Amino acid sequence: MGNNLITSMVFLPFVGALLQAVLPASANRGGIAVGKWAALGASIASSVCGMILVFSMRKQTAEMQAVELIPWVGSYAISYEMAVDGINALLILLMAIIFPLLISAEWEQKAGSRGMHGLLLILQTALLGAVCAQDLFLMFFFWSMSILPFYFLIGIWGGPGKETAAFRTIVAGAAGNALFFGALLLIYYSVDPHTFSLKELSGGKLAGKTFLFLGRELQVSSVAFGLVCAGLALRAPVWPIHGWFTHAAEEAPASVFVAMSAAAVPVAAGLFMRLSYSLFPETVARAAQGIVIVGIVNLVMGGLCAMVQRGLRLLLAFICLSGVGFILMGIGSLNPIGVVGATYQQLVLGLGVAGFGLFYGIVFDRTGGTEFADMKGSAIIGGIAPRAPAVALVAGLVIASILGFPGMGGFVGQTLLMVGSYSIHPVAVIIAGVMILLATYYLFMMYRYIFLGKQSGMAVEFIDLTVREKAYFVPLVASLLLFGLYPKPFIELVRPTALTLLSTIK
Amino acid sequence: MKDLILLLPEIFLVVTLAGVVIGEIGHKDEKTRLAPATALAGLVGALVQTLILYGLGPAEAFSGAVSVDGFALFFKLYAITLAALSILMPGGGREMSPSKRAEHCALVLGAALAVCLVAAASDIILIFLSMQLLFVVGCFLTAHGRRNRSGAEASVKYLVFGVASAFLFLFGAAILFAYTHVFNIYDMHKVLLANPMPAPVAAVAFVMIFFALAFHIVAFPMSLVAPDVLEGAPTPVGAGLSLGARAAGFALAIRMIVVVFAQPSLSKGQWAGMAGFDWIGILAIISGLTMVAGSLLALVQTSAKRLVSYIVVAQTGFLLMGLLVLDEVGISALLFNLVVDLFALSGAYFVISTMYDELGSDRLAGLGGMLHKYPAESISLILFLACAAGLPPLPGFMGKFALTGAAVRHGWYALAVVAIISSALGAVAMGRLSFSLIGRFGQGDGGERPNIQRVAFLASLIIPMIMIGIFAERVLDWAGKSLQFARW
Repeated sequence: MGNNLITSMVFLPFVGALLQAVLPASANRGGIAVGKWAALGASIASSVCGMILVFSMRKQTAEMQAVELIPWVGSYAISYEMAVDGINALLILLMAIIFPLLISAEWEQKAGSRGMHGLLLILQTALLGAVCAQDLFLMFFFWSMSILPFYFLIGIWGGPGKETAAFRTIVAGAAGNALFFGALLLIYYSVDPHTFSLKELSGGKLAGKTFLFLGRELQVSSVAFGLVCAGLALRAPVWPIHGWFTHAAEEAPASVFVAMSAAAVPVAAGLFMRLSYSLFPETVARAAQGIVIVGIVNLVMGGLCAMVQRGLRLLLAFICLSGVGFILMGIGSLNPIGVVGATYQQLVLGLGVAGFGLFYGIVFDRTGGTEFADMKGSAIIGGIAPRAPAVALVAGLVIASILGFPGMGGFVGQTLLMVGSYSIHPVAVIIAGVMILLATYYLFMMYRYIFLGKQSGMAVEFIDLTVREKAYFVPLVASLLLFGLYPKPFIELVRPTALTLLSTIK
Repeated sequence: MKDLILLLPEIFLVVTLAGVVIGEIGHKDEKTRLAPATALAGLVGALVQTLILYGLGPAEAFSGAVSVDGFALFFKLYAITLAALSILMPGGGREMSPSKRAEHCALVLGAALAVCLVAAASDIILIFLSMQLLFVVGCFLTAHGRRNRSGAEASVKYLVFGVASAFLFLFGAAILFAYTHVFNIYDMHKVLLANPMPAPVAAVAFVMIFFALAFHIVAFPMSLVAPDVLEGAPTPVGAGLSLGARAAGFALAIRMIVVVFAQPSLSKGQWAGMAGFDWIGILAIISGLTMVAGSLLALVQTSAKRLVSYIVVAQTGFLLMGLLVLDEVGISALLFNLVVDLFALSGAYFVISTMYDELGSDRLAGLGGMLHKYPAESISLILFLACAAGLPPLPGFMGKFALTGAAVRHGWYALAVVAIISSALGAVAMGRLSFSLIGRFGQGDGGERPNIQRVAFLASLIIPMIMIGIFAERVLDWAGKSLQFARW
């Protein structure tokens, strides 16, 4: 396919962001509306490219598709190499669904809407680029490009403690990028001829290579794997280095936190999967148990912390934490079903978290807070279901998907993960099952507080979804249902790639 | 005659300098001052001459005292561009009085001339003299701002340390002369190849000459004073010193090290250290210390100018990594970074100077709300800083990658680790500065009308900066090609 779909998909949002900067800065309503529509248009155009790309993919093949390859910096063998395969197809869909929603969720932003939309569009470019890149340098390039937008989005539009939250985010991000960068240099210079192309690096090229560090001989692949793990763990929340993430959750505007937890976190998981399976097959085989243990710790800590939350923001942060644990369990299972499940879970976790985040954004807009109960257990916001049935319905469906109720996207992902992992790590699966039961408890407690019971607090003036809000919730919930009811074509996309990657490990 | 043709850029600069000075003496209250225009015309002429000389290939003039090779021409282009930028820089009145504009032009031309001479000199006496010319002009420039205490302090510090470094250089050069009995560095190279210096002598000569150069490139022991100087001097001068004088220092360091203190190795495009005395370890330690000191201290600064000055120091540490690997790839990465810095740092200094004009201070705490008031300037500053910190998608990232990669390729893993850590620290420091710009966003009165002159100048810096990122291959190629030394 010589149609440059990937390039258009990746760079259209960037063009939109440039437009935000270039469009004449008129403060009247017309000028602002042009900017908003330009932003939404760019984002949707990119999403359309992404959907065409994914839906026109050939099934039953693990080959890279829609490859675009242009040499960039020849003297360092860096090329602009983009492609889609089973691992990133679902992530592309996730970005395509989420980003237009985020821009429409921030439609009414008063202070500097242009800047916010521009930064969200840059994020879309960065994350899509990182997902599609098949060149290690290019992947790092896009991936580390994504930290600055978060920094400004939190720092400018965040809550009262935004400065510290933004600072912690960039410190964690810079540290993560530095580690990743170290891995990149190490990998590049340990192969001869030096190359960044993932295709040429894959298949155990790094096995057995060593280097001298302060007089000690170290394995390239284990050190590089460790650096990649640590680097990505600092960008996706992994217990115990998740402090910046929960802090960001408390301060960031809802849409920004959605971009962080529902877009960047699944992308980090996707990158981890691609890099570890293709570059370090033998190290992954040895470290699989460790990955599962980290996943389970994440799952348990996320669940336990979520249980005691009385605010929606931190609740979501910990749900995301345990979701990452789930994905890690699948990645570590090294079993085709588990790996397909992990890929699928990246998509549905992202959608579920996005739905939950946008939901608390609505609650925050209407009531000015996201605490739903105080420490004694009496409701702060309560009984809004009669006043806002649409909100209740949407929130119910999103929660159902997060909990993996049949018919929702989460069900498919979690079932695949548990079925795939059970043969290898039965204990882990049992613990995961317990955590899902626990999640049922605390999510429905939350639901009961907010929607059912006596009307209290701010709930009296709570208005239902407006047309604009419906416009972005409907696609989200519809896609959750689609991925839950008819997962077959998406699983078929992922399966061949997962099988091929796993065959190099065994 | 051919000798003079080879020196045409310098001759152009001298003539222009004379024109500016004479015009300034003769002027009598005219409304329009022609000094900047004259200076620019002269610089453009010199630029064209330099580009023409590129076609002639490596040559030498004045019986080998001056080499006109790709390396020298690279730095000449660099110096001339920098001089043009600093004359074009639309300045405010708070740091430098507008009536001193003509003097500033003359001094900038003098500095450009000095850098051109330093880059081309291959005779140890000429090297010393042209370094001193640069140093004297630098002293004038530092003290050139409106009278204030920090400016005077900066000037005195620059003077004292500069004189110290001049003496160190003289001692080192004297040792080299005493051992080889020649002044020309290429002849020295031949003598040293035939009978190498004993290790202790070589160590003393190297340490003295390198510490002298460390003053100009703001490397570790001498870097302690640099931020005082850069902070005290008027901001446009700070930009000129941190770029021009540093580039001259690097030009000299590369030429001295490659020609005098190294020998061609068997494989092409590489050099080996001196026989009998391994100075590469010293350089590695200095490089690491410079990076760590620069980025750690940048982290705790409370004034914008000082913060950027420490980033300059950290950057020098990075650049030294490209030098100590002693091969063409490393040195061309160094040159690439210098080109990137030319746009990023002069942009950063320029924006800080306009903010200083506006606020009368550059405390980080006072910069809040600038993004709202001056969106174009603030966004450019953030871009410049991100570039200097090496964040993608800006070319600084490519530069940091090339330098750190050079270290990794030669097995300097520990140094690479230090480099990566300090680049993360640098990114955080940059984050602090750019964050202070956006504080108190949306409060206060609306944005001011954009100043067309300033925006145009900023665009003339940002567009080349981004082009360097996209066409990194071309720039790296050009830097690589500039590494031919006359008479190998």
